[in-house]
Amino acid sequence: MLKRYLVKRLFVALPSLLIASLIVFTLPRLIPGDVVQLMLEEKAYAKDLDEMRAKLGLDRPIYVQYFDWLGHIVRGDLGESLWTRRPVTEELQRRLPVTMELGFVAICIAICIALPVGIISATRQDTLRDYTARSAAILGLSVPGFWVATLVIVLPAIWWGWRPVTGYTEFSADRIGHLVQFVLPGVILGIASAAALMRLTRGMLLEVLRQDYVRTAWAKGLRERVVVLKHSLRNAVIPVITVLGIQIAQIVSGAVIIETIFGLPGMGRFLFEAINQRDYPVIQGVNLVVVSGIVFVNLVIDALYATIDPRIRY
Amino acid sequence: MSWTRRELLALGGAALGGAALPTAARAQTPKRGGTASVRIYDPPHFDHMLIISFKTNIALSFTHSRLVKHKTGPGVAPGTFPLEGDLAESWTQPNDTTYVFKLRRGVKWHHKPPVNGRELTAEDVKYTLERFVTVKGNSNAYMLRPMERVEAVDRYTVKVTLKEPFAWFLDMLASPMAIAVVAKECVDKFGDLKKAEAVIGTGPWMLDSYKPNQSLTFVRNPNYFLPGLPHIDRVEGSVDEDTSSRLASFTTGKYDIGVETVAGNINKVDWVQIKDALKQKRPGLKVVEFPGNVMSHVSMRTDQKPFSDVRVRQAMSLAVDRQGLIDAVLEGAGVFNAAVPAALKEWALPVAQLGEGARYFKHDPAEARRLLAAAGYANGFTASICFTTYGSTVLIDSAQLILKSFKDVGISATLEQKEYGAYIATCFNGNFPSMTYGPQTPFLEPDNFLFAQYYPEEPKNQSHIHDPVVADMLVRQRRTFDVAKRRDIIHEIQRYLAKQQYYVQVPSAIYTSVWDGALKNYAPNLGYDIGGRLTAAWLDR
Repeated sequence: MLKRYLVKRLFVALPSLLIASLIVFTLPRLIPGDVVQLMLEEKAYAKDLDEMRAKLGLDRPIYVQYFDWLGHIVRGDLGESLWTRRPVTEELQRRLPVTMELGFVAICIAICIALPVGIISATRQDTLRDYTARSAAILGLSVPGFWVATLVIVLPAIWWGWRPVTGYTEFSADRIGHLVQFVLPGVILGIASAAALMRLTRGMLLEVLRQDYVRTAWAKGLRERVVVLKHSLRNAVIPVITVLGIQIAQIVSGAVIIETIFGLPGMGRFLFEAINQRDYPVIQGVNLVVVSGIVFVNLVIDALYATIDPRIRY
Repeated sequence: MSWTRRELLALGGAALGGAALPTAARAQTPKRGGTASVRIYDPPHFDHMLIISFKTNIALSFTHSRLVKHKTGPGVAPGTFPLEGDLAESWTQPNDTTYVFKLRRGVKWHHKPPVNGRELTAEDVKYTLERFVTVKGNSNAYMLRPMERVEAVDRYTVKVTLKEPFAWFLDMLASPMAIAVVAKECVDKFGDLKKAEAVIGTGPWMLDSYKPNQSLTFVRNPNYFLPGLPHIDRVEGSVDEDTSSRLASFTTGKYDIGVETVAGNINKVDWVQIKDALKQKRPGLKVVEFPGNVMSHVSMRTDQKPFSDVRVRQAMSLAVDRQGLIDAVLEGAGVFNAAVPAALKEWALPVAQLGEGARYFKHDPAEARRLLAAAGYANGFTASICFTTYGSTVLIDSAQLILKSFKDVGISATLEQKEYGAYIATCFNGNFPSMTYGPQTPFLEPDNFLFAQYYPEEPKNQSHIHDPVVADMLVRQRRTFDVAKRRDIIHEIQRYLAKQQYYVQVPSAIYTSVWDGALKNYAPNLGYDIGGRLTAAWLDR
């Protein structure tokens, strides 16, 4: 049944991706100032602009450009950057893993913080631990990641002369160094998500803990660990997983700043620069990959529902 | 413990003064080897003829040569750009429109395919100059617009014929912002020069590795045509886009040269914060201060009311509190600019010498209101200022102060902020309804500030100026080869423009350029030629 559901969902995802492709293709072209004007900048004589547009194929009708691009997408070709002529697919192959690693570390850290703290906070409601956890969560939500990142980099340098851990170490060059470099940015990126997830975990768990079947479990004399982790948490965690899917999209957008601060050559910085330069194929390619990624993650989350809650059947 | 301005200037003087000493007196023999570490920018691509980007030009300053270049080193005062031969051993000018360059013999291209270290010839120079003016998409082509033809007279002689006299021709060739000499085979092989593989020149270093968004590494060119140079074996350039990260890295000794702008400086606002930490952690640091050539101005539609009235423009200039702006935004370290930025000290006129127009650089709101009333705007007027932040808090703060200054005299202006791309595509090219505020490209000679911004129909003539008086002077200075006479004309232009106030010039920052004490025979300057400034430098560690 699940397999059938997934196939159905994949089929439904196709129109979504098609609409997304139309949006990512059209929106960058609606922003004032096209790529040619940015390329030629201050010495843009009208004749030069027209010639350059023709050279890049941007003088063709927009629908022709769209279908041309779509045709290449179907063949797995995301086109090449108008500025660098480097294939977008090649760039993504290099940059996507960096952002994915960063996002993975951030999500792991968010889960590792959010679930235990949320559980403790819910099971010890209105105690000092609960207040501390909730205050920490509000702090985590309020403090911007870029500010924490700046302090983490600048203060040790000024106080103790520690050289900031910035720049990118490739896995092939130094395996340990490669993994370690993601810890600090991952923690910073994960904190805000952890705060949101922790509050949700606490809220959902409190609700579940007041259910009759949980009261029955207590009455049966089950140990707290069994009542909370086995009987309550699995029900409480479903909305948390849903939000986790949304958090992944937020982490990708947060990565733009964190990657810049820590000098990680990921997708965030790549997209930011492409938007500034109106590098249409790059903007389109990156966004399409991100949209596809989010569709996929949500598909996985849907599948997880059934695993976590046996009552859910597709 | 803090460095005062006096101390800084003394240090700067000492650094420059050291250059005046005879070599023996300095008693230091250059050492070969070592790795210099610099903050570098990630080039959008490497074809300098297909982009206006300081990022590309800086990268090529390590790897490529030009026909002529600006002298570098401690003997050159920042803000001056004396010329010397680069690939050209010598040159003559038989008449106003002809230049004959004799090339150095035995100059080798980097030992990389497809050129594989072959000798550079006059044909390469001819190809470069012709590609510069003919390749589609080179918006710097205007720099050589007066060029009519290039001939390779023999293997080592290049003759350039101009359509009309152009006194800045050599300066354009020397500009590190444009004309690095390239090999035809590279263009043939790669289609253009955008890819890192196509970075093949005759310069002091060769591009060893390029990691997008991460780093550029240059290694010494063993066949560089200047014997014994460069002294430094390797230059590691780190792409460091975050201000706090690169400041922390500089404080802890990662970089040998300051990390902001091409002048290797530290922004004053940051300098104030970290100078004490630097004094402790990098006691040998060398510091020089000099005015920056990034000049912002308010441009306006002088072809329309109310800006077509000179009294309105003068009133606007009088309204702006330039000293207040320096104090509030530039940490008290700035210089007033006229039409030519003060940084170009050989050409700029100090405000006090602007004659009658000097008074419009004072802050005098009462006189501004009087002039507005005389022009029929006793109650002021409403306007808009097109603006983009360029990611600079200094620019944002100065825009706010300018708005306030205008409001104080009755000009109620709103700031219309645009995203960078939208700004460049519209306001930067003069397509705006009322006013625009923003910085201009920091050129190294006055012609690009004057001709480009004041000559009719030039794309950068943001204020839509059609003034036959100034147009005549602009053409005249271009045709005057005698430097002293040309300087007189340029001074005359500045005095005239001070009265006209087609643009309201805003002060520029004074740069605090810093470099590691172990980096010897290095001196900062304006311009993108970081590679050039490191060519004869060496590391004493």
